Amino acid sequence: MTQTTSLETFFLLAPEITLVGAALVAFLGGAFAGLRSGWGVSLVGIVIAMALVGGQSSDGATIASGGIMIDGFSTFIRWLVLASGALLALVQSGDLFRSAVSRLSGLQQRFSQGSTCEEAGTFLILLAGLSLVGVASDLVLLFVGLELVSIPTYILLSLKRTDAHGQEACLKYFFLSLIASSLFLYAAVCLYGIGGSTNLVVIGDRLRSSDESIGGIVTVLLPVTLAMAMAGVAFRLAAVPMHFYAPDVYEGTSPGNAALLSTLPKVAGIVVLVRLVSLGIPATLGAVGSGGIWYLTLFWQLTAVLAAVTMTVGNVLALMQTNLRRLLACSSIAHAGYLLVGVAVAAAAASGEADRSLPVIATGSLGLGGLGATLFYLATYLVATIGIFAALTYLGHRWPEWTSASGPRPPREEIATIDDLNGLSSTNPVAAFSIALFLLSLAGIPPLPGFWGKLSLAISALEIDFNSAIAYGNRRAACVALAVILVVNAAIAAAYYLQIIAAIYFRSTKRGVQADGGLSAGVAMLLCLALALMVTLQPRGLFISASRAGSDATVDAQLLPDGQQARIHDSNTSTP
Amino acid sequence: MNGFTPGTHLLLVIASPLVGALVAWVIGAHGRHAVRQSALVTAVITLLLTAWLIVRYLQSPEAAAGEPYGSITVPWLVGGIFDVRLSLGIDGLSLWLFGLSSLLSLSAILVSWEAIRDRPVGFYMLLLVLEAAMLGVFAARDVILFYVFFEFTLVPLFFLIGIWGHEERRKAALKFFLYTLAGSVLAFLGLLTIVLWHASHAGSVTFDIDTLTAGIAAHPLPMNAAGGWLQMVVFCALFAGFAIKVPIVPFHTWLPLAHVEAPTGGSVDLAGVLLKIGIYGFLRFSLPMLPDASAAAAPWLFGLGVVGILYGALVALVQTDLKRLIAYSSVSHMGYCVMGLFALESVAVEGATLQLINHGLSSAGLFALVGMIYERFHTRSIANLGGIASKAPWLTVFFMLFTFSSIGLPGLNGFVGEFMILAGAFQRAWTGVAPSFQSIYLLLSVSAVVGVVLGAWYMLWAVERVFFGPSREPPGSHAGSTHSATVMCDLRWYETAALVPLAVFVFWIGLVPATFLGPSAAAVRNQTSAASEAFAIRMEEFPIHSPLDQRAPVTDRFTIRNFPATGQPRPLAVTPTLSVPFQTDP
Repeated sequence: MTQTTSLETFFLLAPEITLVGAALVAFLGGAFAGLRSGWGVSLVGIVIAMALVGGQSSDGATIASGGIMIDGFSTFIRWLVLASGALLALVQSGDLFRSAVSRLSGLQQRFSQGSTCEEAGTFLILLAGLSLVGVASDLVLLFVGLELVSIPTYILLSLKRTDAHGQEACLKYFFLSLIASSLFLYAAVCLYGIGGSTNLVVIGDRLRSSDESIGGIVTVLLPVTLAMAMAGVAFRLAAVPMHFYAPDVYEGTSPGNAALLSTLPKVAGIVVLVRLVSLGIPATLGAVGSGGIWYLTLFWQLTAVLAAVTMTVGNVLALMQTNLRRLLACSSIAHAGYLLVGVAVAAAAASGEADRSLPVIATGSLGLGGLGATLFYLATYLVATIGIFAALTYLGHRWPEWTSASGPRPPREEIATIDDLNGLSSTNPVAAFSIALFLLSLAGIPPLPGFWGKLSLAISALEIDFNSAIAYGNRRAACVALAVILVVNAAIAAAYYLQIIAAIYFRSTKRGVQADGGLSAGVAMLLCLALALMVTLQPRGLFISASRAGSDATVDAQLLPDGQQARIHDSNTSTP
Repeated sequence: MNGFTPGTHLLLVIASPLVGALVAWVIGAHGRHAVRQSALVTAVITLLLTAWLIVRYLQSPEAAAGEPYGSITVPWLVGGIFDVRLSLGIDGLSLWLFGLSSLLSLSAILVSWEAIRDRPVGFYMLLLVLEAAMLGVFAARDVILFYVFFEFTLVPLFFLIGIWGHEERRKAALKFFLYTLAGSVLAFLGLLTIVLWHASHAGSVTFDIDTLTAGIAAHPLPMNAAGGWLQMVVFCALFAGFAIKVPIVPFHTWLPLAHVEAPTGGSVDLAGVLLKIGIYGFLRFSLPMLPDASAAAAPWLFGLGVVGILYGALVALVQTDLKRLIAYSSVSHMGYCVMGLFALESVAVEGATLQLINHGLSSAGLFALVGMIYERFHTRSIANLGGIASKAPWLTVFFMLFTFSSIGLPGLNGFVGEFMILAGAFQRAWTGVAPSFQSIYLLLSVSAVVGVVLGAWYMLWAVERVFFGPSREPPGSHAGSTHSATVMCDLRWYETAALVPLAVFVFWIGLVPATFLGPSAAAVRNQTSAASEAFAIRMEEFPIHSPLDQRAPVTDRFTIRNFPATGQPRPLAVTPTLSVPFQTDP
């Protein structure tokens, strides 16, 4: 562990600063230099940021002033953010859809001629915010990062579509996001009350200590804190109980934005969850006091229930959908549930005298396979989801049946329902194959990436308390139940994924699907395909880095700068 | 032959259909003929390589010792909590199923020769990918690799049924996929639990099947209340996956639909190979790794097997669709395999493994023939068919042959398998169960014999209606028009080529069963010995006395031996009271 000065902090934040700088170039270039498309600028910015992240060492943790922590976990998240950012930028730049209304009402001229610089710049700011969330080790910075994700999202939602559906989606997202943010802010305040500091490391140390004086506060505050934090995070993950906006918003916006909404906020939510759970996880066993145990127990019970309900609700809702984007929204709800499984399992593993007899656990740190599994699953989910939306963006529109040979071409409709994909295998085999592969990966069919993700989630859940004296203690029973619910849901989910594949391959259609979305979205689709195939054949690399990131996230909580160590003792006296 | 180790050979066998699929894709632009020829060449090469591998295996010291042959291991996902390896190898248990997969894939390609005109590239690619997956299932020596192949067989078949199937193909494809998937995900959790159990006792994580089997034998999963009946729970989880695949009767509803709607090539692979994966799973995982739970469940599954025999036969009796009739006959025949397996009596289990091959040959042949009849008459309805024998004598000859094989005519393969299963079942019923079980076991065994009679009834009745009697033209085809040329046509060269290899093995197994029983006997016994032992112990624990109990204790009459790993085939007589004539091949 190293510490840095303020100046060095700037260097550590160079990737984020680059992203903001690129955003400024895009904004100013669009306004003054006549730059037509900002997406090129954003891609260059992202690539530079990637190079900068690659240049930074991720061995050991670096805790910088200003609440920055660079470690294996944040580096993993940064890679995830930048890689999916690059893919999403390609998708967004190919997302040429304007609503039929704006085409007809003369707005078409303005939009189709207008530049995309604002969109690109806003998107870069969003990425910078998300990357900040990944490196934040301070509640304030975490919150600022989250808002830096939310606010550009509102703008992107409103920029892309101007019809009634688009406005509805934008407003719905805006208000719910505000509520979620304020709930999270309350939780942050409560955490400050518990820890006496905004620094997560300090709060964690305080929380784990078995100090009787904070016992009272902890028992009262913790349930409230966790409930509110979980509500705030659930919105970003689109998990129950804050899931209901997803189908409406996805349906109301463009495929490119739906791709963004189903991926980046989920990354943010998972980062926050991992940071929260690692507050209670000690580096060595037995170092947790009553407060920490209480926290972790609450945490895993709450998360496990949310995970089970979210998976099931998402999949059952998805079974009933005919609109493709509503269906994918419901599927993304279900995947939020799968992601929560790993977090719940990690919290459960640390919430007591965990079973240490499994060598499985000895190789990882403290049996926190759950966090690594979640991160691994997140990566496979991102690839498949971005891939599907890239394909939908690339396909763009379908010709209505009543296209006439003479006269002006009627406004085209975008791909909306599953039936619009009928017969895609004959009109566009490459896109058809890609979509089928991504869907099978989401369904968890071996040996695709989603299968490896579900495998690691299932095994991390099954290994909890495997050898404990009581055959089925609370935690074991709950975790086994989670694993069973997970795989049963995977089977349910296969039903609707296969419906889409069946439409693509088994049906024929008179109206052809035109691949007239942007070519760049097609490139993104192929890149996702290549990534998915790579992970299929060689899942090892991604798995190792994900599990290392997962264990880093918990170990780092112990790394306390000396100065702040001193501050804890000060705050002990000052907190009520 | 220095570099050509058995491992490379095995890998080559599994890889060649995949390469063939790529070739088919590349030359897809040259049209249907080029694609199907390349697929045929691939299948022939794969079959020859497989045959060579089997011959090499039979001559190898591993075959005598009953060890996996051609082992090859490549790390796949190694790190963290995983130790997943691409680990391959065949042994006596998988040997013939492995060969069957190769053989039937060739037949599947040949029977699709003219039938598939729509999108041939995709069709042949999927058939070849399916072949690789089937070969992989039987060669996998790693739990995760087994599961990967096990599930992956669903994907090509899903598309084969859904795209090239008959009228209700979409529904059939979805039902088949979801039903099987729902079971196999639970089996997946069961397998993971076994791995974790072994890891917690052995001190290291392994997914290697042989290491797991040995390790679990040393530290069996708990089968008591204190251990949470873990062994039974895991057995039920595995059962969910394998029973649906077999299918054991209450879980069979996907099968008739999938078989009937599948294209002929898909039916051949589905009936011939994929159903066997369920029984293979029981033999590979459930019986050796969960012997106590298997023993506890054995009477129930023995009963379910008999229920399947009778139910399948009775339902087949009333079918009006020839393909559906054969689909239900599959249910009935798989019932014999289940019954033989869970008799936990070595003759019966060997018979069940042989019956897997027998049923693979006969049902694949029958499905292929039904497909040929459908191509000629555009109907599968028994009522609309009649007098085919006069028009297509060779087709009739082959249909009769596979019918006789299926109903167990002595001299053909079906007889050997069914006889061994029934003999083993009676052996079990007479001397191997607690007295209180004896009457029900005898009753079940007798019922299974009734199933043989029913089987002869529905098959011969169908043959009589379809092939003999007055010649009938189905309403759809117009006699005298261009159709009549097709209608009158007897077997064409590719159809003969698809059926002859199957027929050869029908006779071979029927006349010289020792060729096939010998190499697999030791492996099969090794897989079941733990469960039989547990069953014997379990039977001893029943305290109820009856007059029959005056004889020697159960374990004395039913002895379990660990057979020495010698170079010679083991003496095949199982108990002094029962010697099976087929097993005395010099």
